Amino acid sequence: MLMAMPLGIGIGYLLATLEFPGRRPLIVVTQGLLASPTVVVGLILYLLLSRQGVLGPLQLLFTQTAMVIGQVLIALPVLIAFSLAAIQGADPRARETAVALGASAPRIAWTMLVEVRFALMAAVCNAFGRVVSEIGCSLMVGGNIAGVTRNIPTAIALETSKGEFAQGIALGIVLLVVALGINSAFAFFQGESRR
Amino acid sequence: MSLLGVTTLTKSFAARRLFSIDTLTLQTGESYVLTGENGSGKSTLLRILAGIEVPDSGLGHYQDRCFNWQPYPDWLRREVIYVHQQPYLFHTSVADNIAYGLRVRGVEANQRQRLVAAAIAWARLTHLLATPPQKLSGGERQRVALARAWVLKPKVLLLDEPTANLDAESRRQTIDLLRGFCAARTTAVIACHDRDLIELPDMRRLDLASGQLCVGSFGIVSSSTSPSMACESTTRCR
Repeated sequence: MLMAMPLGIGIGYLLATLEFPGRRPLIVVTQGLLASPTVVVGLILYLLLSRQGVLGPLQLLFTQTAMVIGQVLIALPVLIAFSLAAIQGADPRARETAVALGASAPRIAWTMLVEVRFALMAAVCNAFGRVVSEIGCSLMVGGNIAGVTRNIPTAIALETSKGEFAQGIALGIVLLVVALGINSAFAFFQGESRR
Repeated sequence: MSLLGVTTLTKSFAARRLFSIDTLTLQTGESYVLTGENGSGKSTLLRILAGIEVPDSGLGHYQDRCFNWQPYPDWLRREVIYVHQQPYLFHTSVADNIAYGLRVRGVEANQRQRLVAAAIAWARLTHLLATPPQKLSGGERQRVALARAWVLKPKVLLLDEPTANLDAESRRQTIDLLRGFCAARTTAVIACHDRDLIELPDMRRLDLASGQLCVGSFGIVSSSTSPSMACESTTRCR
């Protein structure tokens, strides 16, 4: 999430504020990717990282790095699409006021992101939810190797397949508590709704 | 002395020509009211002068420097401040809103604090400091926006209907603050229909009608009409 957030929000901001050829198709593709199954993302990444793949020489398959790349790819469409919607839905006077008061382009961008922080943190919560609950991509590019690439969702799947339901439920509770804790931290940065 | 001016300024929306202004010159330290019917282009003209909107054509000059809107020069943004009809206040605090322009200009913290305190006192906002900006009334927001502009000591102040939709007391307070701007010899252009503002002493009048701009008793505007029509327009403005 730490990698995906600046990238996704930055791309969302640029898409919302810049006019360039192909912008509209790019938005449509991004919104379409919201529905992409994580296992498909994992499959594509697997093909890229496998020995015969374009990124094969990097030898990243079945590593934590591959899992992180996969989760960034899963989070990006959510962050981009929701940031774009948040910034486009902002009061146009916010930008105009920043411009009229002499703000530079980076200052205007920061001001706008702060102004729409409630919606942005909702985007972050949503992306985090998608990442923390996904299993398909982690299994495909991580390989569920104990102590190396096993995370809580893949561990739950493994324990359940072995008939260890109690272990699965315990891990599920841990996952929910962690998710709740991190979402509470997001809510702190989100601040109060303006209305 | 001429401060800010434009020549051959035109603006259209789709096929509709909003206005065509041959020359408009704002004199240093003078205040102007810009009148005209709804939809005549008053707000658009102010937004163009502030660099928020781009005209179809036109050239500008500020003192002896020329500029155009591709892009609007940064150095001019530091001199010209535009205030919306319904000012937007950032979701921070009243003091942070007033400090925004100073922070943008890199004014150091101590001096910023001192200037913001002076602006708060000037606009009589002390009792509102703890109130979130979004909870302020229209009149209070207008005063915060005027303080936010005042603290920057702009050379040119562009105000879009600052007293529209305000109750009598808020109107009076806003007009008092505007008098302060006029007294400080800030060149101000105020788009309005408010008779109390129009009749402020030493206020020059600009009228935007049928896409043409004409001026009241101190004529510094020419439009693309024939001389006789321009004369007729000027007479109508008085």
